[in-house]
Amino acid sequence: MTPPDSAHKPTAPGEDPLRPHAYDGIQEYDKRLPNWWLLTFYATIVFWIGYWLYMQQTGLAVGDGKLIDEHMARVEAVKLAANAALDDATLWKMSRNPVFTEAGKATFNTICASCHHVALTGGIGANLVDATWIHGSQPANLMKVVNEGVLAKGMPAWGPVLGTKKVSEAVAYVLSYHTPPAELGLAPK
Amino acid sequence: MSDRKITINYNDRIVRQFMLATVLWGVVGMLVGVLVASQLNFWRLNFDLPWLTFGRLRPLHTNAVIFAFVGNMMFAGVYYSTQRLLKARLASDFLSSLHFWGWQAIIVCAAITLPLGFTRGKEYAELIWPINIAVALIWVVFAVNFFWTLAKRNEPSLYVAIWFYIATIITVAMLYIVNHISIPTSLLHSYPVFGGVQDALVQWWYGHNAVAFFLTTPILGIMYYFLPKAAERPVYSYRLSVIHFWSLVFVYIWAGPHHLLNTALPNWLQALGMTFSLMLWAPSWGGMLNGLLTLRGAWHKLRTDPVLKFYAAAVTFYGMATFEGPLLSIKSVNALAHYSDWIIGHVHAGALGWNGFMAAGMIYWLLPKLWNKPLYSTALANLHFWLGTVGILLYVAAMWTSGITQGLMLNATTEGGTVLAYPNFLDTLNTIRPMMLMRVIGGGLYLVGFLLLAYNVIRTISGAQVVDGRVEVYVEELKSSERPLGAFGTFLNPPVVFSALGTVLACVWMFGGPVLQIVGLFGTALCAILAVAHFATRGTRWAGWYERLLVSAAPFTVLTFVAVAAGGLIQIVPTVVVNKAQNMEERIAKPYTPLELAGRDIYIREGCYNCHSQMIRTMVPDVLRYGDYSRLGESLFDHPYQWGSRRTGPDLARVGGKYNAAWHFVHMADPRNTSPGSNMPNYPWLFTKQTDVASLYGKINVMRTLGVPYPPLSAALIAEEVETQAKMLVEELKASQQLTSGDREIVALIAYLQRLGKFEKVVRTTAHAAP
Repeated sequence: MTPPDSAHKPTAPGEDPLRPHAYDGIQEYDKRLPNWWLLTFYATIVFWIGYWLYMQQTGLAVGDGKLIDEHMARVEAVKLAANAALDDATLWKMSRNPVFTEAGKATFNTICASCHHVALTGGIGANLVDATWIHGSQPANLMKVVNEGVLAKGMPAWGPVLGTKKVSEAVAYVLSYHTPPAELGLAPK
Repeated sequence: MSDRKITINYNDRIVRQFMLATVLWGVVGMLVGVLVASQLNFWRLNFDLPWLTFGRLRPLHTNAVIFAFVGNMMFAGVYYSTQRLLKARLASDFLSSLHFWGWQAIIVCAAITLPLGFTRGKEYAELIWPINIAVALIWVVFAVNFFWTLAKRNEPSLYVAIWFYIATIITVAMLYIVNHISIPTSLLHSYPVFGGVQDALVQWWYGHNAVAFFLTTPILGIMYYFLPKAAERPVYSYRLSVIHFWSLVFVYIWAGPHHLLNTALPNWLQALGMTFSLMLWAPSWGGMLNGLLTLRGAWHKLRTDPVLKFYAAAVTFYGMATFEGPLLSIKSVNALAHYSDWIIGHVHAGALGWNGFMAAGMIYWLLPKLWNKPLYSTALANLHFWLGTVGILLYVAAMWTSGITQGLMLNATTEGGTVLAYPNFLDTLNTIRPMMLMRVIGGGLYLVGFLLLAYNVIRTISGAQVVDGRVEVYVEELKSSERPLGAFGTFLNPPVVFSALGTVLACVWMFGGPVLQIVGLFGTALCAILAVAHFATRGTRWAGWYERLLVSAAPFTVLTFVAVAAGGLIQIVPTVVVNKAQNMEERIAKPYTPLELAGRDIYIREGCYNCHSQMIRTMVPDVLRYGDYSRLGESLFDHPYQWGSRRTGPDLARVGGKYNAAWHFVHMADPRNTSPGSNMPNYPWLFTKQTDVASLYGKINVMRTLGVPYPPLSAALIAEEVETQAKMLVEELKASQQLTSGDREIVALIAYLQRLGKFEKVVRTTAHAAP
């Protein structure tokens, strides 16, 4: 049985006042809002105003699209500069240097082997140890294929993902299975 | 005083029914959760069976715990407390029963259709259209039953719990209906009317506020009733209730776009999503404070009473999750955390901690009252509490570690920021595997705890006599100061006028032109100052008006609806109006060919979006890994959009042409063929099932109705186009020694995958900039 509201136990002396009405026996204090709580609320409102002004109205903020375009242009410039140093002779030399070929092997086995096989004999992708080069036999041709891919045949463009260093190492690793031109005076495999 | 005494017999049968359903579906939902978590670690647990794969079971898990577990818990709590707070029996026993059995039938339908692959392909909105209609109808039954009871109440004044219930009922109805508007192509399939960015925005307006108004507001209402009851203490602060209720329901609605930060979503929406999420922090903590501080003077009871233990922990987890939410909404934090396990951890702090523990506390408290028998074992309930708490902490800590680790690895670059440090996605996946295992253990512990609850329930109620509540109440005559507000009094009063004026002026500031911006900003400030001054001098009038609002159920409901509708209208209407094909800059999607469309429907059926996004964000690591960032126009014709929310696997927005057809063929048969260490399931049935070509005619017609620029195509022409494209793919596969026939689903799926990321450049004949 629910007693009328007035029959509720009175507030003990020294306790805060209760609201006069009770709901199914539930009473309520009416305490002040904590200051830190109010300040938190006000601070987030101020942040909203400031953020909106800055991002949307002052013209000072750069849009996401423009920002990423600028970033990517810088990345592109660095990569182009790095690529320029990698001529055919350099890549052939790298292919005889285990520092590069071992690193290249690691990249090859995690990324390339799923299509070209760990023995480089091909599968979904082309055979890399036979005598046929589909897209040119020079190291620069290989660099281009790995960097830019052959999208029509399902070879992804790995340049953006792996970067010049890893790509050149992987190319050096592939070249290590092939014979360098005699005039470079490098050891055959 | 001419009080009259009446006797009320509460309908507690319906409460018992919903409570037992809560326990049953809780067990089912959590069991599926542990299974899908295990599948992420051990791909063999997908069993190569279509209906047991992760992509189909994950929606079953989310729908079961949200709508079946929390849904039934909410209905039990709402029905128990509402009757007592309003001093009235539920209006209609028939509607109550219809509500119960209708809801259970919906759950059973969902549990059958989702594993079979019938889905709308939108998170937490997967159920197919006939079930959508059933959900809407049963929700209306709930609403009628509730508001009818409200009309018949013997307690004129509405307690804060009732405010939250009102907000829940009207807002969920609004969200659910708008996000489920679809055009059927058959009895089991439909396309949503919104596409691309519109669909994304509507989806997260719904998805975020499903969390707000399905998992939060009703449970806050339940907290306001059951927590002071169990603690036998007064609620801490009435004025805090008022402030946090109105700020919560108003601000919550705006925060949806924080699920789409750094994506192709227009910047102004992202800015709204982030700033309003931050403003949501204090209103959410208002609820936590009122819960925790109500326990003052009752803390000693926590040692002995499992009910209070559960409530105290639940409210604490609520506070934790609602601090984490705004944190994750900061754009730079989100760049790390989005698509990662951190989000999964965040949701589970809320779902396991807040919802699960509130449910447990409520059930343990109600059991003895509804069955007139003491709880079978308090010790088991305490054990449940500790198992659950340890389980949540393990789960959440594992997901934080996992999410931050993988996020850092995916975003890490070397060589002066030009190259990804971890180019192989699988490296990042296999790094977090131990954390994924810890999640299974944490979730498993939580499930064991919940099974203890189920056992406790069974032992308590077996052989017990059910008992229905019955009270005698004195119905008082209304005092003249307590007459309900009319239309005039509802709107023309200081609080409403100042709030409405402030909101309008703030919108003028945010969205107006250069002059209006300044007018709006100063106008908003002036309005705020005037409101403060008015409140300082005539605060009693504000308080007096609110007292009268509390006895005015209809005006209260109308004002709540206005508060929750505002944010959605301001975000969605411009997005729907502006983002049309003729306004797209740079790039625009081409409609999918019939075969690609068939493949896309297979992609959706298998729930690929549960693990793969199709949205490359405006971030360097995303662009380095997946290609140029996604533009709005590229997904414009996607009904439903497939931007995704979690990258268990890599993004697929530009996967088309990245590999050749043979790669996909071999990969779908067993992903470990091409991707050693992958946790993706095998899809052997795609190699035997035939593509459903017959339905394409109807589907393309619906697409055309939705504004996708398909030329007129007859059924015969469609079949011909399908055959031609399939034949080309089969030849291409044959060249790589992969043999199949063109009518297989795998061919359609590969056609779709190879198409992803293809677009047309927009060439404008007349200058026509988007506003």
